[in-house]
Amino acid sequence: MTKSVLRRVIAIVLCVAAVVLIVLGAVNMPKRESEDGLQILKTLRTRTLLNATGEGVVESYVAVAKKEAQAAAKAAGGGMSAIREAIAKAEEETRAKYSSNATDYSAIDTTNLEAAMDEYMVALKASADCEAAAKQAYIDAHYDEAYEAAKADREAKIAAGQDVPEEMKVTVDMSGFVATEEMTSLEAKAKEAYGLVGEALKGIYPVMDDNALNTLEGTIADIVYQAGDNYTLQYDRYIKAGSGDALENKTGGFLVRYADDLFYVAGALIVAALTLLFYEVLVAKLGIPRVIIGLFFILLCFMSLLYDLSLSTLLSNSVVRMGMNSIMVLAMVPGIQCGISLNLGLPIGLVAGLIGGLLTIELEIGGWLGFVFAILVGCLIAAVCGWLYAQLLNRLKGEEMSVTTYVGFSIVSLMCIAWLVLPFNSLKLRWPLGTGLRNTIGLDNSNFRHILDDLWSFKIGDFVVPTGLLLFMLLCCFVVWLFSRSKTGVAMQAVGNNPRFAEATGINVNKMRIIGTVLSTVLGAVGILVYSQSYGFMQLYTAPRQMGFIAASAILIGGASTSRCKISHVLIGTFLFQGVLTLGMPVANVLVPGSTISETLRILISNGIILYALTKSGGGSRG
Amino acid sequence: MDKKDIRSLLRNNAVTVMFVVLCTLCMIFSGQSVSYVIYELFGRLSRNSFIVLALIIPIVAGMGINFAITIGAMAAQISVLWVIEWGVGGIGGFLLAMGMTLPIAALFGFLIGKLLNKMKGQEMIGGLILGYFASGLYQLLFLFIFGNLIPLNTPGLVVKGSTGVANTIDLNSGAGGGIKYALDGIWRTDFGTTLYVLCGIVAMALIVGLLLKKVEKKKAIIGVGTAAVLCGLYQIPAVADLFSMVKVPMITFIVVGILCLFNVGVMKTRLGQQFRAVGQNRTVANASGIHVDKVRLIAIVISTVLAGWGQLIFVQNMGSFQTYGAHEQVGLYAGAAILVGGASIRKATNGQAILGCILFHLLFIVAPPAAKNLFGDAAIGEYFRVFISYGVIAMALVMHAWRGVQARKEKKEQQEAAAK
Repeated sequence: MTKSVLRRVIAIVLCVAAVVLIVLGAVNMPKRESEDGLQILKTLRTRTLLNATGEGVVESYVAVAKKEAQAAAKAAGGGMSAIREAIAKAEEETRAKYSSNATDYSAIDTTNLEAAMDEYMVALKASADCEAAAKQAYIDAHYDEAYEAAKADREAKIAAGQDVPEEMKVTVDMSGFVATEEMTSLEAKAKEAYGLVGEALKGIYPVMDDNALNTLEGTIADIVYQAGDNYTLQYDRYIKAGSGDALENKTGGFLVRYADDLFYVAGALIVAALTLLFYEVLVAKLGIPRVIIGLFFILLCFMSLLYDLSLSTLLSNSVVRMGMNSIMVLAMVPGIQCGISLNLGLPIGLVAGLIGGLLTIELEIGGWLGFVFAILVGCLIAAVCGWLYAQLLNRLKGEEMSVTTYVGFSIVSLMCIAWLVLPFNSLKLRWPLGTGLRNTIGLDNSNFRHILDDLWSFKIGDFVVPTGLLLFMLLCCFVVWLFSRSKTGVAMQAVGNNPRFAEATGINVNKMRIIGTVLSTVLGAVGILVYSQSYGFMQLYTAPRQMGFIAASAILIGGASTSRCKISHVLIGTFLFQGVLTLGMPVANVLVPGSTISETLRILISNGIILYALTKSGGGSRG
Repeated sequence: MDKKDIRSLLRNNAVTVMFVVLCTLCMIFSGQSVSYVIYELFGRLSRNSFIVLALIIPIVAGMGINFAITIGAMAAQISVLWVIEWGVGGIGGFLLAMGMTLPIAALFGFLIGKLLNKMKGQEMIGGLILGYFASGLYQLLFLFIFGNLIPLNTPGLVVKGSTGVANTIDLNSGAGGGIKYALDGIWRTDFGTTLYVLCGIVAMALIVGLLLKKVEKKKAIIGVGTAAVLCGLYQIPAVADLFSMVKVPMITFIVVGILCLFNVGVMKTRLGQQFRAVGQNRTVANASGIHVDKVRLIAIVISTVLAGWGQLIFVQNMGSFQTYGAHEQVGLYAGAAILVGGASIRKATNGQAILGCILFHLLFIVAPPAAKNLFGDAAIGEYFRVFISYGVIAMALVMHAWRGVQARKEKKEQQEAAAK
């Protein structure tokens, strides 16, 4: 608990505000279902409808007045120009009469109209639901057919040497779709209900004719019902249409609309208050960067709720991205434990894994066998490269960080040349025209696309649990943990903690560093394959360059330092980092549409945390 | 010179020698005419050498290659944006941009220095990552602040329908006619005139020095002789032909020359001695009363400001720049260039910087066409030169670390021998 009085006072104020908001929310939330709340919505709906039809009515008035003026002018025996003038004059006058002074809505009796609209809404909803269900059934029935066709088309194109998009798109041809009997009958019912609405409207606007009603049907249907309607969506739609002034008591409707958001803001305030209260403890236990990023993550959660984004979908995506990145982050662990600090030379392992993946596609080994083959080949190459790399690092103790970075960069750009000249033949890999491998290689179901993600995955609401991916992640973590408990693992950590002491106790320092580096590189190879299967693409050329940094920053966010780390740091760090990125993008897009702020966010977080770690590990202030 | 000397010379300058060989091979296979390559080379030298020279002081001060010069380049790009927005063109606009870059880059340099002082021994990786980090801040600035919160009115700087400053900034735009070639265009002359002027100045300086007895007789004679021979060589039509395409932007090269003199001059001052003392051994320097952190801070501030000016020279020559990417490779290419010239991350001179610049950019010119001729794909050459850039830096770091470890080992052995 903080000792600062100011912080306590602010925290208490925040809590009080949160309680007020919760009470307000709790009072208003049930109103959505109650008569009061629905009445607000109905009032808004009626006003929107009247506004929209009112414009149509003015046109009708104008048409009538024009006709009358023409007839009158003709009867008076004027020439063509006189008739034209009279028409123009009549139009102007009628427009001025009906448009300028807004109709006095309160004088209109809308009881009939409201009842008609209620009925219409029910009918529309039934019709729309039925249509959607019928269409989905049609798509389900014909999907396999369309899939086969698309696949055949794609293969034909590849064989002919044409360029194909990375991802296969299956579109079911809807031209064969015929409306079911039920649909037609429900549509007819909706039409009937619309007739009632029309009658009611005619009662309000005497000049409203069937012609005008026909043209207005689409507009009115959109006002009354749209797919996936709920309280907030309808409220927003009516307010956007400019019907806000229909509510004399404005705050009532506002509070009901934003009742759920009141809870979210209250939640955020409570989190802020708790943070203030326990500020010192949090900072001492977690360090400032983790507190900031953790709070930022919570803030993003609340904001996505506030903007009505589906939080469970976003969290589900975060979990998937955590799984796909976690093995690469895990690769940092043996590196840090054996004393080579953050292994920014991770791209060496990544490239090895990519070669394994490419070979499976080239040799057309499908499914699980292919995935296992890719991992085995990747690990083999990674082990050899890692061993060579470790030899280099053993000669440069104490300077690893900058050397590993640039060695990693060099390898990536060397491999850029290799991707251009390696003799792969599969057209899935090569550019059909020109030389070299594609930039991104799309995996499909005949390779190992989503092979872990889809294994035993299940859904809870919008939340998809990628069971296989998570199990694989936990398995790898467990193996690394087990290794760190073994005799070799303990010796390796001793080397990382204090090389001189380790040497004095008879541990072979160089050998331990080699083991750690090789293990790290091998995990990198596995990591990129897990990443690719989940992402659905293998990225070549310069893509692996930054991945070492991303993995390093994730483990640092989790709480590791450049010389100490635990498995829990991997899991926490990857989830927080990927969570912030996953949630950040949609929230940022609401705030600033079409921006790349999420990418900027990644750059700032990932490099910021590495800088922070460097300042913590850097030399003293003097000498 | 006996055999041993030559061997150690080769070993100590392995990178440079390798580059000379590489450049020669690429030159042969590229099929480009020599005069075209020389023309290209002069263009690249005039716009790149300043920024490479900006790296020298931090190296001497023991901070390694200052990869954070990208941040100086950002300062320059901010200045250029505003100079165009205000519509100040020509040399006036250029000077204004220089004036604006000075405080901005100095502030950035101050912040960089503060941070690097917290990570002694890790300056290079720190500077690199700091550059990436600053790149994120720069994006925020150019995407969400300039053009949105602070409106820009010059057409072309903002694109309708997208957020932030446009992807490319054209230095010809703006009310004042822009600052393209603001420095290069003042005085351009052919290579012959430049050569004569240069040789004349060198000869005069040497003779004056000889009369004032500040220069040795032998040195003066060699110098004047070389100048005379160079001028004589240029009289041969075949030689003159090679340089026929070159138009030398005199002012730019004079500015580069001034920077060289500055680098030499500053090392003779008290501050320069402090740079060297700190670079050699921080503990000793601290013990002898030098404020180590402050000296390092000054070195970084100077380097950042110079890098900013270097980027100004670069963009005024190019005529346009990629708003979000122009600064990104500055540190990499400048760092690789100076290492190619034979500098290490502890020692660097003007000569190494210029030589490195020549060799590095020579490879840049000839590698893609050579790769196209050899492998039928210019992309290989592109990737090759990026690989070379990273590889050279990696190699320099490895060699430096290696020597450090070796020295420590020797010291340890000596101590052990002494103990026995």
